[in-house]
Amino acid sequence: MTETIVTPERPLVVEEGDVKPGFIGQSVPRKEDKRLVQGEGVFFDDMKRHEMGFVHFVRSPYAHARIGSVDVSKALELDGVYGTLTGDEVAILTDPFFELSTPPGAHIKDYALAVGRVRHVGDPVAAVVARTRELARDAAELVEVDYEPLPLVLDGEEALKDKVVLHEDAGSNTVWSGVFDWGDFDAALAEADHVVRIDRLHFDRFSSTPLECAGCLVEYNRGTGQWTIHGNHQMPGVGAIWMAPALRVGIDKLRFVSQDIGGGFGNKITLHPQFTVCCLLARKLNRPVQWTEWRTDQHTANTHGNERTFLDVTVPVKADGTMLGFSVRAIDDCGAFPRYEPLGCIIWAQVTPGCYRWRSMRVDFTQVCTNKSPVAPNRGYSRMQHLWLTERIVDIVAGELGLDPIEVRKRNYVKHEEFPYETPNGCIYDSGDYARCLDIALELIGYDSLEERRRDAEARGKLFGIGIGSTLDSGTNNFGQSMILNPELQFSGNNEVATVKLDIFGEVVVTLGTVPQGQGHETTTAQVVAEILGCTPDDVNVRAGHDSYWNSTAGFSGTYASQFAVTGLGAVKGATEKLAGEMKQLAAAVFGCSPDDIELAESHARIKGNPEAALPFMALGAILNANNAGLPPELDITLNVRHVYRPPFEKPDLERKYGNLTLTYATQIHACALEVDPDTGVYEIVDYAAVDDCGKRIHPQIVEGQVHGATAQALGAATHEIFTYDEEGNLLTPNFYDYHVPHALDMPPMKNGYIESESPFTALGAKGMGEGGGAGIHAVCAALQNALGRRGEGPIVWRSCNPYQSVWELMQNPGETRKLVSVESR
Amino acid sequence: MLLREVEYARPASVQEALRLLGEHDGARALAGGQTLINVMKARVASPDVLVDLHDLQELRGIELGADGTLDLGAMTTYADVIDSAEVRARPILAEVCAQIADVQVRNRGTIGGNVCSNDPTNHLPPLLVAIGATMTILGADGERSVPAADFFLGVYMTAAGPGELLTKISVPPGKHDGFASVPIGRDGTCIVNVAASLNGEARLAIGCVDAVPVLVKLEATDEEAIRQAVHAANLDPPADVHASADYRRHLAQVLSVRAVAQARKGS
Amino acid sequence: MDPVSRKTITVDVNGEGFEREVDARRLLIHFIRDDLDLTGSHIGCDTGNCGACSVLVDGVLVKSCMMLAIQADGARIETVEGLAQDGELNALQQSFSDHHALQCGYCTPGMLMSATALLRQNGSPSDEEIRRGIQGNICRCTGYVNIVEAIRAASE
Ligand SMILES: Cc1cc2nc3c(=O)[nH]c(=O)nc-3n(C[C@H](O)[C@H](O)[C@H](O)COP(=O)(O)OP(=O)(O)OC[C@H]3O[C@@H](n4cnc5c(N)ncnc54)[C@H](O)[C@@H]3O)c2cc1C
Ligand code: FES
Ligand code: FES
Repeated sequence: MTETIVTPERPLVVEEGDVKPGFIGQSVPRKEDKRLVQGEGVFFDDMKRHEMGFVHFVRSPYAHARIGSVDVSKALELDGVYGTLTGDEVAILTDPFFELSTPPGAHIKDYALAVGRVRHVGDPVAAVVARTRELARDAAELVEVDYEPLPLVLDGEEALKDKVVLHEDAGSNTVWSGVFDWGDFDAALAEADHVVRIDRLHFDRFSSTPLECAGCLVEYNRGTGQWTIHGNHQMPGVGAIWMAPALRVGIDKLRFVSQDIGGGFGNKITLHPQFTVCCLLARKLNRPVQWTEWRTDQHTANTHGNERTFLDVTVPVKADGTMLGFSVRAIDDCGAFPRYEPLGCIIWAQVTPGCYRWRSMRVDFTQVCTNKSPVAPNRGYSRMQHLWLTERIVDIVAGELGLDPIEVRKRNYVKHEEFPYETPNGCIYDSGDYARCLDIALELIGYDSLEERRRDAEARGKLFGIGIGSTLDSGTNNFGQSMILNPELQFSGNNEVATVKLDIFGEVVVTLGTVPQGQGHETTTAQVVAEILGCTPDDVNVRAGHDSYWNSTAGFSGTYASQFAVTGLGAVKGATEKLAGEMKQLAAAVFGCSPDDIELAESHARIKGNPEAALPFMALGAILNANNAGLPPELDITLNVRHVYRPPFEKPDLERKYGNLTLTYATQIHACALEVDPDTGVYEIVDYAAVDDCGKRIHPQIVEGQVHGATAQALGAATHEIFTYDEEGNLLTPNFYDYHVPHALDMPPMKNGYIESESPFTALGAKGMGEGGGAGIHAVCAALQNALGRRGEGPIVWRSCNPYQSVWELMQNPGETRKLVSVESR
Repeated sequence: MLLREVEYARPASVQEALRLLGEHDGARALAGGQTLINVMKARVASPDVLVDLHDLQELRGIELGADGTLDLGAMTTYADVIDSAEVRARPILAEVCAQIADVQVRNRGTIGGNVCSNDPTNHLPPLLVAIGATMTILGADGERSVPAADFFLGVYMTAAGPGELLTKISVPPGKHDGFASVPIGRDGTCIVNVAASLNGEARLAIGCVDAVPVLVKLEATDEEAIRQAVHAANLDPPADVHASADYRRHLAQVLSVRAVAQARKGS
Repeated sequence: MDPVSRKTITVDVNGEGFEREVDARRLLIHFIRDDLDLTGSHIGCDTGNCGACSVLVDGVLVKSCMMLAIQADGARIETVEGLAQDGELNALQQSFSDHHALQCGYCTPGMLMSATALLRQNGSPSDEEIRRGIQGNICRCTGYVNIVEAIRAASE
């Protein structure tokens, strides 16, 4: 393999928004860093409690089996074992977690441990608690489970036939199905000059695999009946909604606490089964219990991203390359349980036409269960799969009709002047300039010199390819979209909370409802607060982490779905403005003037134009909190304010499946150049550009970090990261040997560019951007297609993950995949 | 993580190590631990007694003999090999050791452990077979030498039997060696690797295609002859999640040609 | 010495001596984190791939999940907790912060130890050498771009 010297280029900021003097828009030092670089972060596994016990799960070696009996007696005999929990106990002590789906999915019974049947390898059937981690595992090996293996189904399409049914109560493997029909697809077909058909595309299973696995330390308070869960659940608000009814307790009995979390990427949203087991054990054994998930467990039995097969893709195209839309049959494989599903059956609709002006779309969507690990909302949740479809459509159509993929994109992109743009299903794309982002990406990657580089690569015996990925990161969910799936569900809108107070010594203290996992919330919060209060970020104390017993949590609190910059900071801004108002009122009362005469600056409240008349924050805090005699009784302030940010959403029109499903749309346009070794299929990304537009960047460095990370994950998913199963349902990539995530040497040199199209819909003009849209996956697929296609009749890149062998096979037999595509020209 | 219970001993001499290995049925030598600890974490294997070879000075050290033969103690780490001035006498050794895993693994993993674990995807088994190394094995019955080509018996099985130790790997002089591989990513596990040596006779050893490295002797070293010879070896490689048997067979040919090309240049 | 299943070991960690009885089966990382309560070193895998547990043992960079605690008897161990002096970040730590080389911070302690080992051996590494120096450390958040920059800047 060639050794490229990797020189990351300095990011190119093509267009600075008008940076106001102040802190917003500045890359101030991250508040989180000081503790983290010293190893002084507190992650769940760092916590200890007197006499705590360690939990180890007994997991199924079968993908599908009836459970005859579970005998824990030998385990209990082992010295140092504190106790066990089995599925039978769980079935008595808890109710199944509620299901979001309409029937058949609604009838699925999902318990914290397997009851009666295991449905994937790694499905937990029992749990053991012991004095040490090692002993817990020893004891788990002594639990005797009698299994009666059942036939299994691993493939989504096969599962549809219901020959093997996972959930008897549901009677079918189908969780949810529905048809979405927007615009007039038949008319579009009639109008088309060409109709391009793609029989099959497949988005593979992978996951962002956060470096820290899941886990918790659970304490039970017998006196109050409350559990404290120190864990890394990234959406505890929703976790509690799942767990409390199952445990048959009120929601306030569950206290979720976290400080630092080692990455989440959506994979820590569906931890309610394991956490419920720990709650039951803490109560049963009357001692704190601690569960650490190991890497192999995470890969085999925690969560994967949704796997999706697209069938019968039909694309009407005009002679000039204008595409009118598409129709598709999508089969989404959610694994053994729909733990957060079937939300994935609608989330994609946030970006129905991708970046394009397509007006007619017909999507027949079905989600099924298979005997594989359940899925979770993995970074780019459900949109990534769908955007990959839109990007494959563009490149395959371009390839088949002999069009330039760049020109086709520009012709079909939503145009700058069309924003805010309403999609055929009622989503409002807030702002952006896709064509400009593409131009910048091409400039960064040196598009002009491509032919030269192609010749150079060919001279070295390599095939050269370039590809574009254009995606949207839709942020700030309207949970009303869940009602499109199930009208009975009582979820809509969204919210997030922040409380800001001025404490007795004048400290500004902020509490967030979010659950950060590395996104720098403490820092960006401090920037916003400092700017409003007229102090510095250093003066702002943002509490690290999350505690649902702080009065700063709401139904949708958490960190997910690219929304902190909008919802989190929206809440922070609202609360801080309220606090600023109260501080002015207090100062006005002291000075005997009007609050309008007061300004906040340099950590003082002072009379405008008279800097001598100034009260330091400390005085304000002290007066109200500790020295308040004589204050006017009508001064109704607390200097401790709470604000709930609620985005302006309507409930969708359920009949038409129509409505605004997300508030903001950040843009990612990536360009990838790669070289393929025609003799081996080995390829190397030799140049890479990522252009991002997430509106106002509060902290450019953090934005850049998110872009780098999302790109690395996408490149991993495109090249090697794939969860493959054998015929017995064993995961073949359960560790970082076989599941090869990018190492430092794998990452190509990366060039970054930005524009800032401020969102008209958000308080700060910012957009959520943490997930990225998987642009890297699309860019790699397109670049491979481009490289392999140079040989004339090129193969069709029809899967999202293309390891070396796949590329070699594509080259060996291009005809095989060419059969997937046909063109009807009129 | 979380190993089964195990006993641990750290002998101060090779004789003591042999005694410990002989006395306990379930005893296993512990070298760098970069394979064994992993296997124990997975509880795939659970020796009763670990005999840590760390303190055995007899198993360390690199010597370059007057005739150009390199003697490398079994406990020599990859990092030792990479840093050694003597090893430059056979440059391919350091070059390949530098391709193994990462800094941490190279700091602890040993050449003896690499060959004794005989993981079919490891780097050193095919290399040592190709360059005609000799392995010295010490047991209760004394010492014997085994050519590398006869050392590897099966997956995780070598001529160093239970109760025995590999003490030394001897490498004859030579410069015309090559090594080519397709790993997963830039530095992951090898999908196929091939070592070539053109010192005197032309030898290829192909890894990852069988339980043991497949030795192919070449009559000629033009591309067609190499492909023919590899083809004639009738490889029957395993299929796994990374590669089908066909793909491995194909890579074996391509990489053989490349390894020979490198060897021809002199590494 | 006959085989033992438990033993009292002494180690020097970041200049402080510790004496503890350990099971022979205890991995060094569990010993450091659970027994010594030095929780800066992390665990990110169960196969020795991720490097989150990297520490220096007698000056040599190792993955502490690939060693038994009992093997470290008598050793001098350096962990992330020993990098800062009197609460002052060292140049590498400061550079990681300045260059936003960490997001969740979970890989960071191991990454810092690998970078420390690298810079001790090679005062002015090239980018390729930096990438080789941290190839055994997985980061899922940053794509390594800023980590490489931070190490380069700290070496200058
Ligand atoms: C993340 C990671 C990636 C890796 N990637 C690669 C790679 O790409 N290529 C590669 O080649 N290797 C790779 N390895 C494996 C590594 O090279 C190991 O170091 C090597 O396989 C075993 O050497 P060791 O000294 O660690 O032996 P140990 O693990 O201690 O022992 C391995 C086996 O050999 C036996 N043994 C060891 N020494 C002797 C002796 N002197 N006499 C008799 N028996 C003995 C032991 O009893 C044991 O059964 C990787 C390891 C890790 C953790
Ligand atoms: S925990 Fe040690 S390498 Fe991953
Ligand atoms: S910063 Fe999160 S894993 Fe590296």
